[in-house]
Amino acid sequence: MAVARLTPLTWGRLLRVNGALLAVLLVTLVAAAALGPVRIDWRRALDFRAQVNPDAVILLRARIPRILLAAIVGGALATAGTALQALLRNPLADPHLLGVSGGAALAGVCALVFRPAVLGQAVVVPAAAFAGALASTWVVFRLARIGGRLDSYTLLLIGVIYNAFAAGLLMFINTVVDLYQAQGVLFWLMGSLANRDYRLVGALALYTLAGLGVLLLRARDLDCLSLGDDRAAELGVQVDRTRLLIFVAVSLLVGAVVSVSGMIGFVGLVVPHLVRLAVGADHRLLLPAAYLAGAIFLVWADTLARTVLGATEIPVGVVTAICGAPFFAYLLRRERWKTAP
Amino acid sequence: MTGSRSGHGADAVTNGVLVRADRLRFAYGQREALSDVTLAVGRGEMLAIAGPNGSGKSTLLSLLSGVRRPAAGTVRLAGRDLAAYGRREVARLVAVVPQETAVAFPYTVAEMVLMGRAPHLHGIGLEGARDLAVAERAMDRTGVLVFADRLLAELSGGERQRVIVARALAQEPSLLLLDEPTTFLDLRHAIEILELIAGLNEREGLTVVAVLHDLTLAAAYFRRIAFLRAGRLVADGPPLSVITEATVRAVFDAEVRVAADSDGVLTVRPLRREGR
Amino acid sequence: MRPSDDLLGRRRAGAAPHARDERPAAVVAGVRGQLVLAISSLVFFLAMGAGLASGVTNGAAASPAGDGSQSAQRAPARIVSISPSVTETLFALGAGPRVVAVSDFCDYPPEAVALPKIGSFLVPSVETIVGLAPDVAIGTPSPGNREAVEALRRLGVRVEIVDAAHLADVPAAMRAIAAAAGVPEAGESLVAALGRDMEAVRARVAGAPSKRVLMVVGHDPLVAVGHASFIGELLAETGAINVAPPSGAWPHVNVEYVIAADPEVVIDSSMGSEESTSAGRFWERLPSLTAVRERRVHPFRSDRVLRPGPRLAAAFADLARLIHPERWQ
Repeated sequence: MAVARLTPLTWGRLLRVNGALLAVLLVTLVAAAALGPVRIDWRRALDFRAQVNPDAVILLRARIPRILLAAIVGGALATAGTALQALLRNPLADPHLLGVSGGAALAGVCALVFRPAVLGQAVVVPAAAFAGALASTWVVFRLARIGGRLDSYTLLLIGVIYNAFAAGLLMFINTVVDLYQAQGVLFWLMGSLANRDYRLVGALALYTLAGLGVLLLRARDLDCLSLGDDRAAELGVQVDRTRLLIFVAVSLLVGAVVSVSGMIGFVGLVVPHLVRLAVGADHRLLLPAAYLAGAIFLVWADTLARTVLGATEIPVGVVTAICGAPFFAYLLRRERWKTAP
Repeated sequence: MTGSRSGHGADAVTNGVLVRADRLRFAYGQREALSDVTLAVGRGEMLAIAGPNGSGKSTLLSLLSGVRRPAAGTVRLAGRDLAAYGRREVARLVAVVPQETAVAFPYTVAEMVLMGRAPHLHGIGLEGARDLAVAERAMDRTGVLVFADRLLAELSGGERQRVIVARALAQEPSLLLLDEPTTFLDLRHAIEILELIAGLNEREGLTVVAVLHDLTLAAAYFRRIAFLRAGRLVADGPPLSVITEATVRAVFDAEVRVAADSDGVLTVRPLRREGR
Repeated sequence: MRPSDDLLGRRRAGAAPHARDERPAAVVAGVRGQLVLAISSLVFFLAMGAGLASGVTNGAAASPAGDGSQSAQRAPARIVSISPSVTETLFALGAGPRVVAVSDFCDYPPEAVALPKIGSFLVPSVETIVGLAPDVAIGTPSPGNREAVEALRRLGVRVEIVDAAHLADVPAAMRAIAAAAGVPEAGESLVAALGRDMEAVRARVAGAPSKRVLMVVGHDPLVAVGHASFIGELLAETGAINVAPPSGAWPHVNVEYVIAADPEVVIDSSMGSEESTSAGRFWERLPSLTAVRERRVHPFRSDRVLRPGPRLAAAFADLARLIHPERWQ
């Protein structure tokens, strides 16, 4: 028997790669806490015995929840994108293609614009958006399921059409509301991590980690599915059931994220791609690594969004789009397609 | 001739038959692909299936592997109805080498072969020492171990095909189904693959069903040939009786000359319309 | 190979054939086809976003001032108002009975609400206006109504555009509206009354200590009343120090900036009438703010009244009273 020359995935490699990424994430979090449009005095900020002071409020109430939310959202989007790319066998799939985002955005905007004024928007809008996400998942599922199978091509088409429909309705809403509301709608859509309710952030954290766990258990199935439905079946995957499970898991992840922070694009597209180039396509390593890399990416993007113009906020979706789109184009040109003809 | 290898599923031997198809019928929409196909493959047999394009060969393989369900008729694997098996169970018994593989992601050769161990592992299970040994052995025999860390996309069509064969072997199947395994291979590699498969069949009793276009190659390696035409099984038997000029004309609409060489192995050559 | 069902599927065999992702010849189903699809839908989405953005911010430049030289020979009998502030002014001038239609957003006075509507003041409906055969249409410049105004003029409707973006322009604007409505004397009285009332408020707060004030019109995004906006100018008139960032009319402020600026008074016009709403909770999360500690966070529903119209002085007084309550005791 030949001497073992394979370099398979081992627990050691899993821990090393993810451990390194986790370390980078922690450093990123600390660095991001130190950066902002306003300089704060660290000692005063962390002095718990003192009176409530602006530095502490900035750090604990403004920055830290926002940074944590960025990490959670970035991780969730990257994970969802990774799983969806495997499901659709396409490294260019963005989680927002699924149609869930459009439906969640539409419901959220309706709540934003038409709610009675006494209902504050901090919880009502995300709740409505998530309800929209659930409804959209159901609709897309029903439309895309042909003969019991969730076909990739059909799923993609239905998602695009559904998003176009939602976008049309959103445009319509924006023409009938007044100027202030229209601008509010636009900024909500572009994605923002600022001033989100604490409870939502906590709930989202648990939720997205659960989603990551579910997908991680199916990591091997994702590898097999990326070869084709028949190939996956031949390798022992229950194709229909698994495709459905992954579609639902990804939709719920994306729906929750859009409900809380609007549509932040390109994270779910670029991060899985980059991580796959770095660590390979084995989803058992790729999924957790993508989560951590997505978290790092979005924390930095958000830090940029909140510091580059000083006191003025830029929606984080703007930063990811401006940085992501050219980078994506560069990747397209440079990447020799790793597909067999 | 059954080798005793670990990793097998249900081993009920029913008259030595490993897989039996009874009156299979399958249709794509309105178009009938298979009609009333009955076939039994014994343990340790090597069967080649040939036929014109669209005769249902690939469909038959997909029914034998359980990836498709017949509209009528049954497939029994080791005595049990295939529909009664779990998907993973089947994948531990039956491995498929498809015609071609399109890969969307940058998997390495090693990663691709190790996917063959997926039916033996659970959830996020990482491969153990035995899994690695099995995969390595498969890669060694197909001659792709040197490519272990190369990306699949960097290999030629033939090399890639051998990797897929290695993956199938890594599943440690009792039954190996191949869909035109030699179509993209050059002569040397085509021979190597067939030699490999024949060797596995002889030494370890691996049951093989392969769809082949090249009748001469089929005759050289397979002791049993079946012809499909328009979804029906029209011939089934040893090469000498099945591969005749009349049968080939009837099944393939092609004029050939069939001859046996000094070793008794058949060659099939086309009959030129003009000239010699 | 076509998909139909798998081993454990419960469906009948022989589903309709689909394009398969393993047939490289099929253009749309192949990986390249999906690439095209993915890119086109991304582009589509970006275009949607751009379309939304342009729809909101297009035509921000003010349309040219109306042709004041073409004053009507007699007072126009049929007037259309395409701005809420113009509507209020017209009614205050006594020209109300001659107003035949107003914009969707004209909500004062009550008589105006009952009038026929000609669309939002963002995009008035040209056809409706023409159909009403007005003698004059009066409005203020707004994003999006520039084309409508040009279209109206081309169709022969007389349009007066009155710019009152700045506090200092309000008297002239009122006079222009009055002239267009054929009641210049009423215009002078209105301007004089406005001037007196505004001066009265200024006198009340004269000498009051300057307070650091932040006025907010939305939470998500957090939008402050900037120095360059109309309301910002009013704030300045109350003697308050507006802590919003120095540039821009409606800056989107980072909350950190607000915390550091530490306003003494916060006026939140997005809050409901009670303090205990989610907007109220928003401020309670920032306990280091002087305004929060001293319970000087006030809702202000009159922001829509802060228009260059007849109610301006009253609204200005409300605003001043929130900032300097001690001057009203």
